[in-house]
Order: sequence, then structure tokens, then C-alpha cells
Amino acid sequence: MEITFKIWRQNSPKTKGKIEAYKVDGITEDMSFLEALDHLNEQLVLKGEKVIAYEYDCREGICGQCGIFINGRAHGPHDHITTCQLHMRSFKDGDTIIVEPWRAASFPVIKDLIVDRSAFDRIIEQGAYISAKTGTAPEANAILIPKEISDKAMNAAACIGCGACVATCKNSSAALFTSAKINHLNNLPQGKAEANNRVLKMTKQMEQEGFGSCTYTGACEVECPENISILNIAEMNARHTKAKLLR
Amino acid sequence: MAVNTLFFRKTIMASTGLFLCLFLIVHLSANCILVLPEETARQIYNSYSTTLRESPLIKIVAYLLYASIIFHTIYALLITIRNQKAKPQKYIVNNTKANSTWTSQNMGLIGVVILLFIVIHLANFWARIKLGIGEDVALDSSGHLDVYEVTYSLFQNIYYVLLYSVLMIPLGLHLNHGLKSGFKTLGFYHKKWTRIIARISLVYSALMAIGFGIIPLVVYFK
Repeated sequence: MEITFKIWRQNSPKTKGKIEAYKVDGITEDMSFLEALDHLNEQLVLKGEKVIAYEYDCREGICGQCGIFINGRAHGPHDHITTCQLHMRSFKDGDTIIVEPWRAASFPVIKDLIVDRSAFDRIIEQGAYISAKTGTAPEANAILIPKEISDKAMNAAACIGCGACVATCKNSSAALFTSAKINHLNNLPQGKAEANNRVLKMTKQMEQEGFGSCTYTGACEVECPENISILNIAEMNARHTKAKLLR
Repeated sequence: MAVNTLFFRKTIMASTGLFLCLFLIVHLSANCILVLPEETARQIYNSYSTTLRESPLIKIVAYLLYASIIFHTIYALLITIRNQKAKPQKYIVNNTKANSTWTSQNMGLIGVVILLFIVIHLANFWARIKLGIGEDVALDSSGHLDVYEVTYSLFQNIYYVLLYSVLMIPLGLHLNHGLKSGFKTLGFYHKKWTRIIARISLVYSALMAIGFGIIPLVVYFK
């Protein structure tokens, strides 16, 4: 396959970036999108040009590192996948693919397609954990949790923090991410003790990081590789109101 | 309570919006009088509007209504400014069609159109009847202000009729997204009930858009 990549190139956070076009031959449809970028980078190395910087880690759809905006969608043309799980068979020979980094004030571009997502880490630091020392894993049946509660917590816990929700949201809202992290723990008995503090501190941090507010376009839910429900945001709102009233 | 938090602002948006949704039901019910035969409509409509104007309870509701429109607008502006700041650089290509509805992406724009409509609408009726601006409103045979005549004569102008009817399309779109999202903002997260609320929003907004849109046409062709 021959593909023309139009890729955002930016040297550093301070410099201005621009789109540059690269015509790449020898791409096979079995390549993942990241492998196609590797293929392009190999050619750039041979030509003595600067390679395209992009993030990745596991390449099996579970780490959330490979956030790239492809042809106007977070993680490319399919719903609920990561960029590493996107394959070139999703494109046609001769296609032009526009490749951009996540866009959000809270996710500044570091280089090319790499953005700084540490705003998410700072939200996590505000309470997406349990502060009690739990020791070794307890006996599985010691704390009984109804199936529907554990399913709900698990759906929220599946968040890999890739940032697609923020990237696709027209307001760069981090509501889906933050609500997933809150509801994961607040639904479980282990998380209940710190539930109110957790929701207040994490949402406060979310706000301080400069993310926008949720308008329920539903785009985040569609682009989320883990299919995390937008109802998590409504649940976070309810928990936030409750925590404010009971504080 | 910190009045500047995202949560506070969105709560104001949702609660004023939901109040306006309730108001529209009452408004449309009253509009239905207009499709009755002429003299019956005139009598009922005029005595109904006199009752409203003289009721102290309605006075409170009216002030709530003004406040709702003003706060819904101001907070929309504040939220939009903040949201724009959160995404200063837009994508070169953004395929929003693939993951969301056009309405949900453009609530602010649709809101501006509706606000313009409200300004025209208030100038046509509220300013004349409540503020006494423009031509004096005559009395009908029972001594009520002839509000029916004000309405009837406005809707003899086909341009106004078309303006009113066409602008009910953005109203319907805005209501459909706003109603179901307002409930989520206020913390309704039950899986089954949010689905039911979404369906109610669709039926409600269709009823409002069609109802408000068709009555001026009916009056014109009466």
C-alpha cells in the first residue's frame, strides 16, 4: 500500500508546529498503525531526517500510551479501540491520513504527537486510591459484593487513562476519566470510607487543571477504548452533590 | 459553595433549563386556545391572559422565568468561555459526526438563535402588552385587553408566521439535547431511567417544536 501521512511536527512545547506530508510505500495491510509509523521512521532515519516522536508501550491495547488523533477521530476510524489495535487494513491504498496530537490546554504538546498527560496523574494523586494499608490479598469471599455493583466498578476501573475522552471532547472535559476513577472505588466497600473526600478532591483538581465541562455530546464514550459509560459522569455529579451536602 | 465551580455553573444551567421546559408546557397549552373558532378563542384567550396578569402567584413565576432566561444565558456564556480556553487549538480534521450528534456539538450556537427568537418574541408581545410600548392594545367586549387581536394580527403576516414556525426547529433540537442532559447534570444516572428520560425528551421536544410551529400556521390560514 502507498499511504500519504500528513503529520503534525512540533519540535518542543514552545515552538510552533506544522503539518508535514510524507508519502510512504511498502505498507502492508497487516501492519498496525504504529508499525506503519515505525516503517516511516526507518525511512526518515535512512534519509538522515528527524523521526516522528509518538508514544507507545504495550502495543496490545491495555496501557493507554498510544494516543493519536487520526483522520479526525481519537485512535482512528473505529469505536472503542486504541491506536496500536488499529491496522492499516482500515485504510485504502493511496489514502491520505491526517495525524495530529491530542488537543487540550491541559495536555500541552511535548514533541510531534506526544502530549503531556500528567494532569491525569495529579487528579489520581488526589484520591484514586485507598489510603489504608491492606496487607496481602484477603480471602476472596471475606467481603461480599453484589454482581451488578462489581460489574459497575469494573467497567469504571477499566479506564487506562489514554486521554481519548479529553482529546475528542469539544470542551476538553476530563469528566469521563475522573468519574471512572471515582466510581471505580466509591462503588466498592473498600472505597466507601473515603468516598466523599475522594469525589471533592479529585473534581477540584480536575477543575484546577483547566479541563472544560461536560456537555454530554457522548463522543468520549464512543472513542473510549474501554467503552466506559457516560453515565459515570452523571453518577459523579450525584456523588459530588451528596458530598457537598454532607460535608 | 464556591459559585464558580464547573459543577455550580452546570447545575444552574440544568435547573434553569428544566424550569424553562416546564414553562413551555404551560405556554403551549395556552397557545392551543388560539386554534379554536375565532370568537370563542378571543374570549377564552383574553380572560385567561387577564387572569395571569392579575395573579400575584404568576407574578412570582414570571420573575422566576425572567431570571431563568437571564441566568441560562449568562452561565452559558461563562461555561463556553471556559470551555474554549480548555481547547484553544482545534483539530485540522475533526470527524465529530462519527461520535456525536450535530445538536450536541452546537448547543451554544442553537441557543443564540433561540435567544434572538426570544428577543423578537418579547418585542412582539411582552413589550406591547406588559410594557405598553408601541400601539395601544384595545379592549374586547368583556373589557379584557384584547391580547388575542395582538396575536391574530401578527400572524396575518406570512413572514412572521414563517419566522416563528421555522425557528421552532432549533428550539426542538435544543430541548431534546438539553432536557436529557440536564437530568444527567443533576445526577440522574440510573441506566433504565436515563433511557426513559431520553425517550421522554424526544417526545417532549417533538411536541413542543411541532405544537409551537404549527399554531401560527393554523391561525394564518383560519
